[in-house]
Amino acid sequence: MKQQHINGGARRAVFAPVDSRARVDTVVRRIGDAIELGLLADGEQLPGESELAGQLGVSTVTLREALMALRQQGLVTTRRGRGGGSFVSLPEVPGEERLKVRLRGWSTEELRDLGDHWAALSGTAARLAAERTEPEDLVQLRRTADELGRATGAAARSRVYGRFHVELAAAAQSARLTREQVALQTEVGAMLCLVLGDDEYREEVADRHHSVISAVQDGAHESARELAERCVQESTARLIALRLTL
Amino acid sequence: MSLATATLDKAPEESVAARVRSALETVFDAVAATRADTTALLERVAAEGRRPATVDLAALRPGLHLRLARHELMSGVGFVAAPGLLSDVPAWLEWWQSGPEGDVRPLLLDLDPEHSAYADYTHWDWFALPRDSGERAVAGPYVDYLCSDEYSLTLSAPVHVEGRFAGVAAADVYLRHFEAAVMPMLRRLPGPARLVNARGRVAASTDPRHLVGSLSKGPEFARALASGRPGHTEGVRLVPCDGVPLVLVTAAVTTGTARKY
Repeated sequence: MKQQHINGGARRAVFAPVDSRARVDTVVRRIGDAIELGLLADGEQLPGESELAGQLGVSTVTLREALMALRQQGLVTTRRGRGGGSFVSLPEVPGEERLKVRLRGWSTEELRDLGDHWAALSGTAARLAAERTEPEDLVQLRRTADELGRATGAAARSRVYGRFHVELAAAAQSARLTREQVALQTEVGAMLCLVLGDDEYREEVADRHHSVISAVQDGAHESARELAERCVQESTARLIALRLTL
Repeated sequence: MSLATATLDKAPEESVAARVRSALETVFDAVAATRADTTALLERVAAEGRRPATVDLAALRPGLHLRLARHELMSGVGFVAAPGLLSDVPAWLEWWQSGPEGDVRPLLLDLDPEHSAYADYTHWDWFALPRDSGERAVAGPYVDYLCSDEYSLTLSAPVHVEGRFAGVAAADVYLRHFEAAVMPMLRRLPGPARLVNARGRVAASTDPRHLVGSLSKGPEFARALASGRPGHTEGVRLVPCDGVPLVLVTAAVTTGTARKY
């Protein structure tokens, strides 16, 4: 029965229009990331199919395919009948293994492009922040960089890492850059857990964040931009290197 | 004193500063009403000998909705509880926002530190300033990535119950709405002008060399605000919008009384 499901899903995927397949992947990533990051808790019930499809702006068919993929990854279970629906379920497999499955869903080209987008956002944010802040504006960024130095657990580290870049965009006084950075972090956040578990690398990122803050405080626009870009490029390079081993 | 008399009696800069102030005072009125409602509510609960819970704060909603509907300048309003105030949750924002179609909706945030990196809101200026000073405050301009994702000013005032800080009453003004309200006033001035906060951050400007969000460095804006009187420094005239922490900056021309800082 289960085998048939997979076969059926796989066959449909082959003949699905490319664009709608991409939409399924997007929904799978979005919900999967939310589960990995703990935004959706174990056992939590997802909204009904039509409501969820409406919220995500996809058709019910697309949503059903995405839910099927999530069931195959063991991240969602569906119960029928009264009190039924789709529920978040964290499988027993270690989080790292699940995250690797998710990373495998990205091509190296997509990861490189994601990194380019991120570097553009954070680099520009750092440059503008150097022009538009005074030391008092940097208190929160400093606190976040310190917190990353102390955070235990890859998920907590990844959340604090993401917050640094959101705060950097806010320091640039740009609502648009901030919104873009928030959206980008929801995509990259879960995968960053894979590289931030390493204490040495976590230290390195915290150091890089501190040097971005120093350059911003000195009003050194260009080096602030370069340092922020390099920080992001290094994380992306690590993700791509890991992806190549999978 | 009516605004009309102000216009007759004062230099144009002072009249504009007074108008900017009265625009923000209408928002502060909404903050004060929210503060009064919240204080009364929390005192009532305390008199019953119990701790307040989120369900109690629902009583604030009719007032919040009414204020949002009435004030064009305001896009969000509510009460932000001090952590530990409520018995059922560690932290809470009873916060309502205007939607794009004029609807009113609640802000729902994940404030669980296990899930969200943004669970602690106590460092934001709109919370920390009134908590630490005991006075009303204007935070921003700043990018509000917690509640609205908008470039905003947040006006807030502390709520105290039985002598203890219980949280802040606050209202959001999006910068684009603030700009729409004050630009006609600034344009009436003969030359380029800008409004800056105590740190020199530009909140509105008719001067293309000083864009909104940029920092005006050099002159002593905080000192101008503290003195409450117009003055001039380094070739610019500074007129505090007495009562709200914004300073009107124009080129120094000798109108009205001027004091050297």
